[in-house]
Amino acid sequence: MNERHAPDILPAQEVLLNNVLDHLRRQSDAVQLLREDPTTSEEEHLRIVLVQTEIERVKFIVNSYVRTRLYKIENYARFITTNANLQTKLTAAERDYAIRYARINDRHLFATVLQSLPDSQAHLDDEEIAFMPSMINQPNLSKPVFAHALEDCPPVHLPDGSTLQMKKNAISLTHYSVVENFVARGEAELV
Amino acid sequence: MSLPTTLRTFVTPSELEFVACQQLVEIVPLISMERTAFISGAYGPLKPPNRVKVPLWLAINLKSKKKCHIVPPSWLTVDNLKERLEEETTNNGFSKLPFRYIEVSKLLLDIAPDDIENPDRLRSLLKDLREARQAKCRSGLSQVDHSELSLPNLCSMELNEIRPFFIQAMSVLTQLVPNSGTNT
Repeated sequence: MNERHAPDILPAQEVLLNNVLDHLRRQSDAVQLLREDPTTSEEEHLRIVLVQTEIERVKFIVNSYVRTRLYKIENYARFITTNANLQTKLTAAERDYAIRYARINDRHLFATVLQSLPDSQAHLDDEEIAFMPSMINQPNLSKPVFAHALEDCPPVHLPDGSTLQMKKNAISLTHYSVVENFVARGEAELV
Repeated sequence: MSLPTTLRTFVTPSELEFVACQQLVEIVPLISMERTAFISGAYGPLKPPNRVKVPLWLAINLKSKKKCHIVPPSWLTVDNLKERLEEETTNNGFSKLPFRYIEVSKLLLDIAPDDIENPDRLRSLLKDLREARQAKCRSGLSQVDHSELSLPNLCSMELNEIRPFFIQAMSVLTQLVPNSGTNT
């Protein structure tokens, strides 16, 4: 759920994801085996149904987690290719995908619009032009989020200079960059 | 696309309900079942008439097959909610309620009204509570500033309700304040 609320891409939970997928596979195999067995009793059938319900629930969560990441990767693809820090938060497969996606997207933009523009404007990364919004999408780290402290957090500095101390169970609306470290360490969650 | 537009910025209430279904509730089973291993842990064994703790989704599933009675959580009683409502209308702050109380109470009242005492009274109390809290949320908007706002005791559904508006307001305020470390 954190992944959905955070504007930035969070570090990949590869181990956890693989674990869950492993469990899923094992449970579905067990269900398959039991279903084919004609001797299973009425009571066992009920258990199979319950286990299947849970399999579907877990699949849904995994699905929405992966989709959210994919959406963010596509959105920030060009930024990812230039930012080494962000690349460490992705798995190898995600990194490859981001780079490929950025390349294809570039080629498309070039073929449709950029090649017919004057040379000086035919690039996406023109940083020398002032007063123009950048054409590369970046995660907005100062986007406000709702953070829920799971433990007492050490005081942090707010952008306006004052400090914020979050007690356990406090909920506060603040910039993502302020609580970023707490979320990464698991001391707070985004809600 | 990888994520539908409606889901891109905010979570939907049904997703919150889905998350809330992972919470544990007590049930009185009407059938017996051995301990069963699930992905999120092992639950059971079910041995009537002993009470056991299971996740809400499991309880709902069993209930809809008429195979258990759900024991309503201790906060979901007329007396307790009345007290909270009193607190809510007399004090300025929000009263203490479970974080996902709206989702859980709605699910329980929908699925298992016969296991709960006085469901109609509960429904109207919950509605009063919600309205009182909503009004406070709206008046709280005046306190939004560019850096921080703490909202003790708000619950997830209410947060979700005020999220679009509050976040927008705060972003605009952030842009208006110079030198506050923004990159817009």
